[in-house]
Amino acid sequence: MNYIVLMKQVPDIKNIPEDAWDWDKGILKRGLLDNVCNELDKQAIAFAVAMRQEMPGQIVALSMGPPFADAVLRYALSVGADTGVLLTDRKLGGADTAATAYPLAAAIRKIEKDIFKGDRNYIILSGMQSVDGDTAQVPPQVAEELQIAHIAYATSFSISRNNNDNNNNTHLYIKRISRQGTQTVSPVTYPFMITITNWTRHPNATFERTRWANSQRLIRWSAADVNGDESRIGLAGSRTTVFKIFSPRDVRTRRCIFESDLAKMAGLLRDTYQSKSRPSVQETAKASYQLPKGKSPTYTGEVWVISEHDKDEIHQASFELLGKAQELASQVGTKVGAVIIGQDDPKLASRLISYGADKVYMITDDRLCDFHPVPYSRVVCELLDKYKPQIVLFSATPLGRELAPRVAYRANSGLTADCTALDIIDFKRGTQDYTAILKQTRPALGGNIMASIITQNSKVQMSTVRPGVMQAMKPDEKRIGEVIKYEPKLNESDFAVKIISSEEIPAASELKDAAILVAGGGGCKTKEGFENCIPALADALGRFLGEKAMVGASRVAVEKGFIDRGHQVGQTGQTVKPKLYVAVGISGAVQHLSGMQNSDIILAINKDPNANIFKIADLGMVGNFEELVPKLIKVLNS
Amino acid sequence: MDKSKNGLNKVDVLFIGAGPANLAGAIKLKQLLHQKGLDQSVVVIEKAEKIGHHHLSGAIIEGDILDELLPGWQNNQEDKFTQQLLAGRIIKDDFYFLTGSNTAFRIPDFLIPPSFQNKNAYALSISELMNWLAGIATKLGIEIYTGFAAKEIIIEKGRVKGIKLGDKGLDKERQPLSNYAPGETIEAKVTVLGEGSAGQLAEKVVKQFNLNHGINPQIYAMGVKEIIKLPENNTFGRNRVIHTLGFPLQPDVYGAGSIYSMRDNLVAVALVVSLDWRYADLNPQHELQIFKSHRMIKDFLKDGEVVAYGAKTFPEGGFYSVPQLVADGAIIVGDAAGLTNAMKRKGLRYAIKSGISAGEAIYQAIEKQDFTARSLKRYQDILGESFVMKELNASRNYRQIFSRTGRLGNYLGIPLSFFQSWVPGKLDTKPSYEGMRKAHLKRQLIGDIDRLTAVSLSGTTHREDEPSHVATCESSQAGECFRDFGCYPCTLFCPAEVYKFEDGKFVLSPSNCLHCQTCRLKCPRQLIRWEVPEGGDGPRYRVM
Repeated sequence: MNYIVLMKQVPDIKNIPEDAWDWDKGILKRGLLDNVCNELDKQAIAFAVAMRQEMPGQIVALSMGPPFADAVLRYALSVGADTGVLLTDRKLGGADTAATAYPLAAAIRKIEKDIFKGDRNYIILSGMQSVDGDTAQVPPQVAEELQIAHIAYATSFSISRNNNDNNNNTHLYIKRISRQGTQTVSPVTYPFMITITNWTRHPNATFERTRWANSQRLIRWSAADVNGDESRIGLAGSRTTVFKIFSPRDVRTRRCIFESDLAKMAGLLRDTYQSKSRPSVQETAKASYQLPKGKSPTYTGEVWVISEHDKDEIHQASFELLGKAQELASQVGTKVGAVIIGQDDPKLASRLISYGADKVYMITDDRLCDFHPVPYSRVVCELLDKYKPQIVLFSATPLGRELAPRVAYRANSGLTADCTALDIIDFKRGTQDYTAILKQTRPALGGNIMASIITQNSKVQMSTVRPGVMQAMKPDEKRIGEVIKYEPKLNESDFAVKIISSEEIPAASELKDAAILVAGGGGCKTKEGFENCIPALADALGRFLGEKAMVGASRVAVEKGFIDRGHQVGQTGQTVKPKLYVAVGISGAVQHLSGMQNSDIILAINKDPNANIFKIADLGMVGNFEELVPKLIKVLNS
Repeated sequence: MDKSKNGLNKVDVLFIGAGPANLAGAIKLKQLLHQKGLDQSVVVIEKAEKIGHHHLSGAIIEGDILDELLPGWQNNQEDKFTQQLLAGRIIKDDFYFLTGSNTAFRIPDFLIPPSFQNKNAYALSISELMNWLAGIATKLGIEIYTGFAAKEIIIEKGRVKGIKLGDKGLDKERQPLSNYAPGETIEAKVTVLGEGSAGQLAEKVVKQFNLNHGINPQIYAMGVKEIIKLPENNTFGRNRVIHTLGFPLQPDVYGAGSIYSMRDNLVAVALVVSLDWRYADLNPQHELQIFKSHRMIKDFLKDGEVVAYGAKTFPEGGFYSVPQLVADGAIIVGDAAGLTNAMKRKGLRYAIKSGISAGEAIYQAIEKQDFTARSLKRYQDILGESFVMKELNASRNYRQIFSRTGRLGNYLGIPLSFFQSWVPGKLDTKPSYEGMRKAHLKRQLIGDIDRLTAVSLSGTTHREDEPSHVATCESSQAGECFRDFGCYPCTLFCPAEVYKFEDGKFVLSPSNCLHCQTCRLKCPRQLIRWEVPEGGDGPRYRVM
């Protein structure tokens, strides 16, 4: 078995030097950030090295970037790769994900031919996403270009050898995070792609191997070397373009409201929570697009939503998409279509209609009840060809983030990942003149900048949308809609991955998934003090606001042994952005603030009214936590 | 490691630390080897994740030393660093005495000894200088590996054989994690110890080979430094340096302040303090804030934004504290050798010269294939005939004078120091930590940057779950400190707030550490242990 690992050089967003911020313009100067290897790609190479111990073969590390990106390949060599290939060419610069995936796929074909001598028994590995773009689109699009299977969110693998089998067949099983929990799958055909998420610690290189890596000659290929079609690479091949970068920090002009009355505080919490956690609501009120006179829209067709469901319940995220789709459709004067894939269930269709769908496209095939990226993207594309919508929205869920890139690539159209705002605008720049197009806004560089993006050179505009950002309509059971059924023709060979088992236990959740985070600091004084107050407050707030609440801690609290390090928030812990962050007994050292200051609402409870934490808090209570917290819990519970 | 060739852990010449002395040494050596067409592996290892990250200095450099190492360096029109350096030539050089928080007077030039003057030298960032030198070194074929920390010196049969790297991937209890990589040994014909101030491998070699016979114990000073971005129309100006004496330091604390202009309206603001201070509650980072609050300094720094912070120690024992610098298979250079001048407060030029001298001596040793101390002694001979030892000799008792003036401190020390060279023979030094008394400055906490904010500006990071690389006394023993000094000095003198004493016990934050080792040198009861953490950890200086 051979292996190709995709490696990317990214800016070091964990260590941003102070002078890299341009506070006047509110942007980050990319040039002043160090370049490092994408952390998940380091894990991908470790994954490949571990697999090779079971199934020996060559490991080729492949990267695309400027000449100095060879550093990531040297790293790959130093921890186990045999060969490094750098795809470097000015013509490849300025590429979006599709224009990155295409030349990478071409390089993979060339590696297969030149290095593996035509042997197709290989596995392509990559980190799930890179920290700079954070789109997770390139690997699925490479897979789509190569027409191979893709196993996303892999967390481990195992191998079984069937001794009775004369061929000494080795079976590979990959455990992955799925929308229901975890899943064990097995590839049927090779090659295929695995993308890795938080699998292990990144490997440490030895001096000996590092010195060897340094002495190796890397293979450098230009666009011409891999026979790239020039219209599909670089700027020309890009289907999206960033037209504006701005700071997420202008929302950070907080003024702390101090409130000592507990009942009033509870009320304030609920009010701010409900208003701030739906930022698009206020925008909706403002958003009204008027088509300029004498102009016709650049895109025509319906606004579509690709819905997701578990058995007989549609996901909340899909209802949120429908709410947004309704708003967009009314601005451009069209209808909303919802696509549902899987079993033939009229109840699901009527749910979609009640939440805003005017038409429901039902793709029915029992084999599609489980998510298989290859046939899913094929049937969605068939539907796109037939009905030609102008906008397609996906949820930025595991399924959406895997399906959308493949659909977009196949449809030769642009895709913007993980949007937090969508608007209709007219756009004019240079030779580009678009009317009534979709402005897609998303965070980038680890949430340090915001980017507004438009789709170009495409038939359809596509986005994945972060769940919990858009607002669903109030369901109306009386709404009338049309149901259109579509029965695709699928072959067994379309199912290149066999699902062995699924477990419906949610994967260990991380702090960053919590909507509400209650963190305790050194001010909690003792382990008992921490344990008595912090989890109880998290529980009470979770019930009070009806969302998932978790427990966090400052570095001091962890250092004092109040709780284990998995809960640490801050520069050396986790970076979190919950809707509500409650800091109890945390003074607010910058090291802590940098890990939580992008939270929507911050409530600080501290005995020192001059504590730093109040400078960035929205709501504040001054007092002894041992008295305040139990009282607050009582009020929240009543 | 299938394809890895064996023997890669053996090199010809190994330099420990990618600092000015070692990079200059490696460059000089490789230049000489190239001239003779000799192929020898010259390898530099550095514990920082990237070049320059662990380097901090004033910094001022005289052009002549670069002329010696890299003739014609200033003619490179294309090189950005060279152009920046040339543009940073010092034109205005002032010396002030700060008599109070509002008052200052400028010391006229004729009163300032020529050795204190900096005109026509260049103010620069040593982190950037290291990157420039590393680029030149790499082009010459020198191998530089960052993120590898040398932890132990290997001595076999009376000869330094190489070093052992620190382990990577241990948890807090020193149990291996999934990415555990045990520290390898690297063997070399010559190991050059250029670890910088208070280098522990150099200390070990000095002790093991008894190289410090009859010399003074080394004494140290420490500096805290901020890089401040000033607005375009600032009053400090360009091509300018100032040095100050006096405020905020007490007369009996030996130290000085400085502001150097750098590229792009950046200035380096620093305060250096000799570690033999007596005040148990002296907090150098806070003293720097008080320095910045002086009316004149405040005016200079108006509307400036602090963009970086760092701290380091440096030796200042001078001539009589320099040990023998060679052993069989080893050479000690730069700060690790104690080659700094307390009078001029400079060491960069000496470091580079010591590296050049080491490069020349090693080259001759390679020609002879003789790496014994006797052969390597050539290094010390070259150094002895150079300006380095001559200047150190000329100021041989300078620093010691100040340790003998008691409470009058600098008021007596400065005039007396003019006559230091008349003192016959050697004045002794006492280790810096012996100076501490139950004396308090009782400072009001003021200033715009508190210690933890400063730490964050250093960019320092350490893997939180690695074994602690610092250790202090048992919390139960801390009472003795409080009894003797009325406070817990380490919680104050550490420029990075690594030590905290709360609710009756020590809480350590090793991840804040700036690797200056002030703690190890200043702990009055010598109970602090500091060892090199995992390679790649530590501060991230970019313009220090």
